[in-house]
Amino acid sequence: MRKPYVRPMPWTWFLRTAAYRRFMIRELTSVFIAAYLVFLLVWLHRLGEGPEAFGKMLQATRTPWSVVLHVLALAAAVYHSVTWFNLTPQVMPVRIGEERLPHSAVAIAMGYLPWLVLSGLIIWGVLR
Amino acid sequence: MARSNEPFWWSLFSAGGVMAALFVPAFILATGIVVPFLAPDHGQAIYPQLHKAISWWPVRVVLFLVLFLSFFHCAHRIRHLLTMAGLEHARGLLSVACYGGALAGTVASLVILAGL
Amino acid sequence: MADDKKVTLSVFRYRPEQDGEPVFQEYQVPYHDDWVVLDALNWIKDNLDGTLAFRWSCRMGVCGSCGMMVDGVPRLTCATFLRDYYPSPIRVEPLANFPVERDLVITLDDFMDKLKSVKPWIIREGNNSPAVAEYLQTPTQLAQFKQYSMCINCMLCYAACPIVGLEPHFLGPAATALAMRYNLDSRDQGADQRQEALGDEHGAWGCTFIGECTEVCPKDVDPAAALQQAKVAGVKKWYRGVVLPRGGR
Repeated sequence: MRKPYVRPMPWTWFLRTAAYRRFMIRELTSVFIAAYLVFLLVWLHRLGEGPEAFGKMLQATRTPWSVVLHVLALAAAVYHSVTWFNLTPQVMPVRIGEERLPHSAVAIAMGYLPWLVLSGLIIWGVLR
Repeated sequence: MARSNEPFWWSLFSAGGVMAALFVPAFILATGIVVPFLAPDHGQAIYPQLHKAISWWPVRVVLFLVLFLSFFHCAHRIRHLLTMAGLEHARGLLSVACYGGALAGTVASLVILAGL
Repeated sequence: MADDKKVTLSVFRYRPEQDGEPVFQEYQVPYHDDWVVLDALNWIKDNLDGTLAFRWSCRMGVCGSCGMMVDGVPRLTCATFLRDYYPSPIRVEPLANFPVERDLVITLDDFMDKLKSVKPWIIREGNNSPAVAEYLQTPTQLAQFKQYSMCINCMLCYAACPIVGLEPHFLGPAATALAMRYNLDSRDQGADQRQEALGDEHGAWGCTFIGECTEVCPKDVDPAAALQQAKVAGVKKWYRGVVLPRGGR
């Protein structure tokens, strides 16, 4: 007789293996990034409101809380960037004739290198 | 093929993922460490330089693109995250909430950047 | 004698005619350096318990029959050595995300249907059948899809993917890799016909790029890449459909 047994899948499935946990953390970075983007909007708004308003924002970003939150957001954003660039070669394989460029070459050329250059430009632009 | 609009949301997610990956870490460093602590002028002397830099239209265009696309990237990811973590039955509501939020963020970005 | 080392296998048992729920049964199996889990299962069946049911065939990693969960990881049991677990006990279960028929045997009807749904054969427009014309294909053209043709339908990728467990209609890694194997084949003209299966919300779009499918594949097919590339192709089609609604190809 046939009576197939279906094993239940709990909503906590993502806690089951290290790979699933890493995946969930990767997805959760979007929450931190979204939160930072909202902060960035406020920051830009204050910048547009004039020197006094921006001065208060500047004071706020000099507090320990601000540093801690920024560091957390940075960790999340960097984890997003690294995982994103490492996955890019699977989304866009680059072939030259029969040969495929190795994953690392694509990740560096299409990810890490432009990331470094752009980030350098941005920090330099702000420091100037 | 209007069978599913998933390709459209995914294209925004994809573009947003690239923008967020390339730009957001440097922005965080800028607003969190560089501007408050490392920029040559402490105090409000930094204001004119910053305001001038951000008012330059290519910078505003880049800022808008990063904000708009990254908001939709996050919305798409959060929507799927919640769907996979057990809220399957609320799929429609989740889409509206997530993409609606991203739209709100995009409109806010437009208003704020235009008013700089 | 030096040859009396033993290893314990904790095996998932389910007998539909007598069990309401599955149970685990422990067996003490002789340990040999060069034995794989499949050897241990066959020894159990030959010497301890003839009622144990499991699938296997080639015992050399090409048929795709012997996939099971070994200590919670989808593996070909003919390619999984006891020495990598000894002296710890080894837990053997049926492939995850599939209904269990009996013991270690899963129901794979849905999987077969998903394979069929992508029309896995060369599709030609018009009358250019192989009997009339021969195809010429360069090594470069072959390289576009060859990796995706290496799939042995072992279903380890389905066991590794939580979306398969959460969404029964999800097309899944192997079926998508199979679809891309044909879509990328220069001899094929059937991409539009495969779009119904691929472009569905539970087709390639069900994937969230967890990537575990590629991790467990014993043949380096990289189904995760196939899924993402299917999405990219889907996006191009979608935008073309918006810009040229009356169907530019």
